[in-house]
Amino acid sequence: MNRTTLKIAGASGMGLLSVGKIVAGILKGMGYHVHSDREFPSLIKGGHSNMQIDFGLGPIRSLSMHTDLVIALDRDGLMEYLGAIREGGVLVHGFERHAMIRDLQETAKKRKIRLLYLPAHSIAKSLGGSDLMVNMVLLGLMWRVLGFSLKPLEDATREQFADKPQALDIDLKCIRAGYQAKGLKVPQYKIPLPKYKPKEILIDGNMGIALGAIKAGVRAFYAYPMSPASSILMYLANFSHKTGMLIKQAEDEITAAQMVLGSSFMGTRSFTATSGGGFDLMTETVSLAGMIESPLVIVLAQRPGPGTGLPTWTGQGDLKMAIHSSHGEFPKIVLAASDPKSCYELIQHALNWSEVYQVPVVLLTEKTVCEAQMMVDLESSPKIPIERGLVTSKKELAALKSSDRFKITESGIAKRWIPGSSATGYFANGDEHAEDGVVNEAGPLVAAMAERRLRKIATIKKALPDPKVYGPKKADISFVGWGSSKNAMLDAMEMLTEKKVKVNFLHYECLWPIRHEAFAAFHKANPNIHIIENNLQGLLADILEGKSGLKFKGRLLKYDGRPFFRRDVTDYVEKNI
Amino acid sequence: MMNQRKIADYRQLAEKKDEYLKFEGSQAITWCEGCGNYAIQKALERALVLEGFKTSDVLFCFDVGCSGNGSDKIAAMGGTTLHGLHGRVISLAAGAALANPRIKVIAEAGDGATFSEGPGHLIHAVRSNYPMLFILHNNENFALTTGQASALTRKGFPMNGSPDGVMTDPMNACDFVLGLKPTFVARSFSGDINHMTEILRAALRHNGFALVEMLQLCPTYNRTTSSAWFRERIQFLKSVPKTIEAARKAAADLERHINLGILYQDTKSPNFLERLPTRKGVKTALVDEVKAYDIGKLTAQFK
Repeated sequence: MNRTTLKIAGASGMGLLSVGKIVAGILKGMGYHVHSDREFPSLIKGGHSNMQIDFGLGPIRSLSMHTDLVIALDRDGLMEYLGAIREGGVLVHGFERHAMIRDLQETAKKRKIRLLYLPAHSIAKSLGGSDLMVNMVLLGLMWRVLGFSLKPLEDATREQFADKPQALDIDLKCIRAGYQAKGLKVPQYKIPLPKYKPKEILIDGNMGIALGAIKAGVRAFYAYPMSPASSILMYLANFSHKTGMLIKQAEDEITAAQMVLGSSFMGTRSFTATSGGGFDLMTETVSLAGMIESPLVIVLAQRPGPGTGLPTWTGQGDLKMAIHSSHGEFPKIVLAASDPKSCYELIQHALNWSEVYQVPVVLLTEKTVCEAQMMVDLESSPKIPIERGLVTSKKELAALKSSDRFKITESGIAKRWIPGSSATGYFANGDEHAEDGVVNEAGPLVAAMAERRLRKIATIKKALPDPKVYGPKKADISFVGWGSSKNAMLDAMEMLTEKKVKVNFLHYECLWPIRHEAFAAFHKANPNIHIIENNLQGLLADILEGKSGLKFKGRLLKYDGRPFFRRDVTDYVEKNI
Repeated sequence: MMNQRKIADYRQLAEKKDEYLKFEGSQAITWCEGCGNYAIQKALERALVLEGFKTSDVLFCFDVGCSGNGSDKIAAMGGTTLHGLHGRVISLAAGAALANPRIKVIAEAGDGATFSEGPGHLIHAVRSNYPMLFILHNNENFALTTGQASALTRKGFPMNGSPDGVMTDPMNACDFVLGLKPTFVARSFSGDINHMTEILRAALRHNGFALVEMLQLCPTYNRTTSSAWFRERIQFLKSVPKTIEAARKAAADLERHINLGILYQDTKSPNFLERLPTRKGVKTALVDEVKAYDIGKLTAQFK
């Protein structure tokens, strides 16, 4: 499947996000499938940043390891990204003293990369522009290389900078200067144009969560900012005039979790979002939720740890932490999203299941899932009706006794009602308690209560869906994975199918309680079975091997802060079939 | 004047006997003899009844501590009680209060919970002016864990874990809160049930975050500030100080002349919910609003 890959590289603060947004927007408007993601350091200005945009005629789920075309907004970009360009690719830049960089010309010649230089600085200055507009000059030139007409670029620029008319005027002049630059041998791509417009929208995973939460009736969002979860707060806050949702930026993560718990207990829908370090702080609150059996939904957007780790990079290192954290033995549900669509769907399921089963639910995502922009058709998502598991009929509410709240039942789940909706009292006690919530330390009842809570696991496991199988029933090599590895895997499977290599893939979205029997069945049918995980040890592999007693043939692990590329998968496959 | 008032209150309590009894739990008491918690809880029950609250109108939120052990001793019939984590009751209660402001949320915690484990929550709850009542049970020690010093323990007296006594000056709870632009700060004493009742009534009527510090007797672990010690020092404010500066002056002395009463009240400042531009004119509470919403208008910008 053909795709073209662009990379816009520069220091943070050079306007590369604006350029990237314009480009992604136009390409989508033209009818291409677009996938974009950013790599950036944990800084506000300076440092090294880039935005990659893969586009083509069919679905693109992951970024390519190599790019066709790079525009480098500053000097560092030149050498840094040369290695990432394919043979025969193009590097567009505006660095005047490029002749001084010996390696540049040599490396470029060796790898047949065409260097296109334009004195963008002086052009921008002569047109009355600032340093920020250097990127507009280069953008114009890049656009010509892509072989597209100038008009859509001008229109998109007008839209992007509509509220800055003076800057807009100069921006347009800069773009034209770049596009129409004379005296350059400009290679031109002939990229096939789309025949129809896909109906998807281009959003990132955090937007998927925000939209799913709004749809599912969340009315209060409390959060402390932490990369890569912070934009959920921004999105929901920006929507709040339209939605009327209560948004509170809490003073710390413990406050956020406690406020979510208080609001959820009281009968509205609420959630918070954080990363691994913030979730660490919330674990006592999760334990309390487990004891009082109140709903509590937390989005855990992973980034590599430990400690402060890599705030702006990606990984899947927190799976075991999500499952096993919080003192005491009690059930919780752990889910993992892999793209904006599953973000949109799983947050809705999380809110339902937390209420129906009265357990904390952790929804794992990853930096690459949070921030990569992907095409999704939310309208084709299955309808997920709101389920709350509450006693609501007047008759039932009137008949309640306070001992109904934590009654010892077969399923483990007792009746729950909104405080104030019934004349019957309700005591949610963090201490171990009797059926009516009153403190209890008597041995037999302590044991019975603990068992009741744990019985929920069987009830929940039965109700959760099985992991999904992608690809043929029989394959030359098989993989199991969770979260974002699905994206590179599916893209790689397309490439491998063209090479007549058969691959199938078992993808888990419900990580706990885990339906490991599905893995055992898959393992039985597919002996050349491997795990693919974006972490150091193969955390899901450990869990599945432990639960099933079966072993993986190999582990494709990546833990350098980057997401999987198709190449990672195809290289591994070559070595293992 | 005070006597007339008392008589009127008792008459009213007698009339509302049934409601009052609903607030009383049937669980065995686990507080020490002479503990200030009895009187504080009784004063709260009286204040609630006199202000016209029924058990179903109230949510009691407790922290971990001796005060928290009152969680199963109040509002047995028709009430809702939430007993949470140590130092965190204020945020838990705030979340509940914001979800359903029709129910009166009352949070209680000790000095250890509030000023050691969780001062951050207090600070921001005062600033946010969440609509709730917070009762600070100040018995100047961590009593439930058998008498360690807290941030409010006086200097020099041997405590569990500090056999030489603490070397740091204690905090002054009301003065600390007065530095945060609060809207209601008051102080009372567990040995005076009538005064506590009166203060709590005013606090219950307040729209916003109402903090009431109860100087609480702890005969088991805090022998220094005994009932006699307090009686020599407490005095009642004749009027509510009009400015924060005057309030801080009135609150400052905890050694010789300890002022009790409403230290400061701002009735003009809107509560947290009333400050939100996104909730202006909204008549429903968050608990009423859980249903499926159409996101079409929000996704239009991406098309």
